[in-house]
Amino acid sequence: MAEKKFTKEHEWIEKSDQIIIVGITEFAQDQLGDIVSIELPQVASSFKQNDVMAIIDSVKASSDIYCPVDGEIIEINEKLLEHPELINQSPYEEGWIVKIKPNNPEQIDSLLSKEQYDELVGQSKE
Amino acid sequence: MNFIPHTKEDISKMLSVVGCSTLDELVSEFKPRLSELKIDMPLSEMELVSYITNLSEKNSQMKYFAGGGSYDHYIPSVINHLVSRGEFLTSYTPYQPEASQGVLQILYEFQSFICLLTGMDVSNASLYDGASALAEAALLSSAYTKRKDVFVDDGLNPAYLKVLQTYCDGTELTITNTIDENTACVISQTPDFYGNIKNPQGLIEKAHQYNALFINCISDPTSLAILKTPGEFGADVVVGEGQAFGIPKSFGGPYLGFIAVKQFLTKKLPGRIVGMTTDDQGNEGFVLTLQAREQFIRRERATSNITTNQTLLALTATIYLALLGKSGLQNVARASYHRAHLLHEKLRKNGFGAINTNPFYNEFIVKSPKLSEKIIADLMECNIFGGIDVGDNKLLVCCTEKNSLQDIDSYISAVSK
Amino acid sequence: MKLIFDYTQSNTKHTPSQEKDVDLPEDLKRRSLPLCDVNEIQIIRHYTELSRKNYGIDTNFYPLGSCTMKYNPRVNEDLAKLPGFSDLHPHMPASHVQGALQVIWELEENLKEITGMDAFSLQPSAGSQCELLGVMIAKKYFAEKNESRTKIIIPDSAHGTNPATAAMCKFQTVTIPTDDRGNMDIDEFKKVIGKDVAVVMITNPNTLGLYEENLSEIKDLAKENGALMYCDGANMNALLGISKPADQGFDMMHLNLHKTFSTPHGGGGPGGGALGVRSFLEDYLPVPRIKKENEQFVFDYNKEKSVGKLHSFYGNFGIIVRALSYLKSWGSDIQKVSQIAVLNANYLFSLLKEDFDVPYDRRCAHEFVISAKNFGEKSTINIAKRIIDYGFHAPTIYFPLIVKEALMIEPTETESKDTLDEFAKVLKTIIKELREDPELIKNAPHTTPGRLDEVKAARQLNLRWMPKES
Repeated sequence: MAEKKFTKEHEWIEKSDQIIIVGITEFAQDQLGDIVSIELPQVASSFKQNDVMAIIDSVKASSDIYCPVDGEIIEINEKLLEHPELINQSPYEEGWIVKIKPNNPEQIDSLLSKEQYDELVGQSKE
Repeated sequence: MNFIPHTKEDISKMLSVVGCSTLDELVSEFKPRLSELKIDMPLSEMELVSYITNLSEKNSQMKYFAGGGSYDHYIPSVINHLVSRGEFLTSYTPYQPEASQGVLQILYEFQSFICLLTGMDVSNASLYDGASALAEAALLSSAYTKRKDVFVDDGLNPAYLKVLQTYCDGTELTITNTIDENTACVISQTPDFYGNIKNPQGLIEKAHQYNALFINCISDPTSLAILKTPGEFGADVVVGEGQAFGIPKSFGGPYLGFIAVKQFLTKKLPGRIVGMTTDDQGNEGFVLTLQAREQFIRRERATSNITTNQTLLALTATIYLALLGKSGLQNVARASYHRAHLLHEKLRKNGFGAINTNPFYNEFIVKSPKLSEKIIADLMECNIFGGIDVGDNKLLVCCTEKNSLQDIDSYISAVSK
Repeated sequence: MKLIFDYTQSNTKHTPSQEKDVDLPEDLKRRSLPLCDVNEIQIIRHYTELSRKNYGIDTNFYPLGSCTMKYNPRVNEDLAKLPGFSDLHPHMPASHVQGALQVIWELEENLKEITGMDAFSLQPSAGSQCELLGVMIAKKYFAEKNESRTKIIIPDSAHGTNPATAAMCKFQTVTIPTDDRGNMDIDEFKKVIGKDVAVVMITNPNTLGLYEENLSEIKDLAKENGALMYCDGANMNALLGISKPADQGFDMMHLNLHKTFSTPHGGGGPGGGALGVRSFLEDYLPVPRIKKENEQFVFDYNKEKSVGKLHSFYGNFGIIVRALSYLKSWGSDIQKVSQIAVLNANYLFSLLKEDFDVPYDRRCAHEFVISAKNFGEKSTINIAKRIIDYGFHAPTIYFPLIVKEALMIEPTETESKDTLDEFAKVLKTIIKELREDPELIKNAPHTTPGRLDEVKAARQLNLRWMPKES
């Protein structure tokens, strides 16, 4: 399993072969609280880095999920439509959100490492 | 009048707690201060009642044979007694569900009634009126299909069309006359503005062929007691005006917009939605739900900006529908239908031309043998508002269960002078 | 719990029976109508019982910030229900509805005088529809001037409707942060104000209950750049007879008749909206306009520049009657409303200052915002629920979004000193309870249904009753 990368928007990215898997972090799910629904993008749609690709709603908040890199959506986690709570229960496993085929794989390298992300989260907790 | 309970002593005590010597000093920040206010002297309740009553008497009340978006159905007495209860009247949006179970349950019942009548899956808790509900439905369609063209079938109430056009201009949607792959929605009113009951089957198929949504618009929903439901025909969205359900004509407002959709559009609905849930003891109760759709959470990403709606009128409609029940609503619909058909028949025998191409419910259009202005004036002489002049000497006429056989006879004798 | 659908009784018959079926083609006819019949007495009991599970201003103090929950004079209800109004068909010609047109015209005239605006439209059904109208007017105004303006500036303390409205009309919202005195940050504003800004939308006093101190400078900069100034008048209850928004430099503003002018909130509506504009924007208002010509009131549809129509008829007329009645009863004494509203807010604020965190310690307008953040996360919701146990309605909570654990309290002018004293005492008691018996507060309310599960409501949607068999 490749090492995860992170964004400052609290998404995690995992690279496997030519695709990446994207979800939100433990910290993000905790901040959002009980997630009640998700709007997923269409398979085969394309996004630029930092475009809004999905929306997660909890009871009292609605949050954009940004595309971490330029790329095309090749798979969405349809289970989340029926069971959005999977994001709360298992943000890194069953709660993954989309799989993307990146256009510029080098963009992934410039994302945050685990250490950098932990530092960021540490700051925002204060 | 004075609705402020404070005594002079209260005010001076409070000022000293606040640390101000005068009321004027308290608002000294608010600039620029106005120099004078040219408003009439205050009135006591007695004077006010006399003043406003006098204005109300400058209006003419008539026997109405007119609809066109406002219907003269009978309103049972109980409604006003219940809706006037202060616990309903003076409450606001149920942000604290534990203190608002009454309104929340009635809105849940309202949503259920709208679904049962329209044959749709989900309803919201009301919108402003029929016209803005239609505009909201167009916005919903655009958000769902990510398309910008709106197709409008002939026969839509012209005021609704104008409101829709205004919303479309503001939100950059386009009203077009073709259905194609750019079409977000196909809008059709039935019975239409001229009374024609339409079978929407063909239009629904055409809309769906291009993956556009079909929106059915309803002007007098008492018709739903006898007409096949839009849900059964396959409509994706049903919107309409709920005024016919126990709400006074009141010179055009406040009325009651409703919107109901098929399941797959639930999360695209604008406005408040009430859901059933349980409390910490497991008892059933109600809350506002799916709130993350709404402007106060989504802000610039919300598809609608609606906040205040027409709750008290949704309560009115709910109580109306409960009171009439199945047999009462059928009586109203059948009586409205038969009275309208009787008047139509008599008008034809008196030289009026029948124009409707389809079967009609309680509204129809006729061509007057004389100048329509003259006909309307003659009727007004007899204290009858005989219909809406839609141009070219055509009259849009409406009957409800309130138009008695004698009224119909008076109508005929006034126009056959 | 029983729903109205759970009864099957004999119908009371409010209109004559009509057994004869309709003569329609089968493919247009309804096959079954899944409604029940219930007798009148049961309906009265069912809805009376529900009314007792509901809380209104008539029940007790309802300090919901930003909503102006003042006493709703009952006589106004009677007046709106006079048959000459309530039984009036909206398609009747102008000659037969002179009294109704005079009501609309008189309210417009009074609102012009109170706000300093030159013309009003009473077509909008509520504040948010006013905003929509205002932004549509701005869009059309700039389009006709061939100016391409894409942005609307809104402070981060604004109501959610402001950015939602801007987005509906395809404007980009530029959010300005709030400075440490609770004003829109003037330096940040200076960075973004430019020729691409269509509208600067400001609530004054703002949602923190504070008078916008930089307004004059903001207005000058907006005007220099040709942008329109829009006032969200949700908080007009602070300014009646004291200061006119037009004099403050606003080109457009809206009023919520159900807030400032005391028309009942009805469990969430109907409201009433009034959009006022300066004369250079008057021609953009919706049609018909109501004009007075030779002592007669007439409809004027002949407005080429008008954005169109927002309502099938003339707006929420019943609400307009109530608002005019309210205004006539205060008349030239109307400034007392705002003076006492501001006094009540400042008094209650003074009583609570020591107990809560105060994000902006300034004299407030007609409402104020305090924070419960010092009592820990989620204390605001717990306090709000506990307030219900003491027989009061809770304030607005978690708004404005920029204040953590916010409680937004608007007492209004119709609450007595005793009520305010009592409410302050209750809040102080709850704070004590928070320290001594936190579990008691976490599980509140105890006098009504328990805390309802909003997560379950959103995840397992149950939005309607279903017939048992169909």
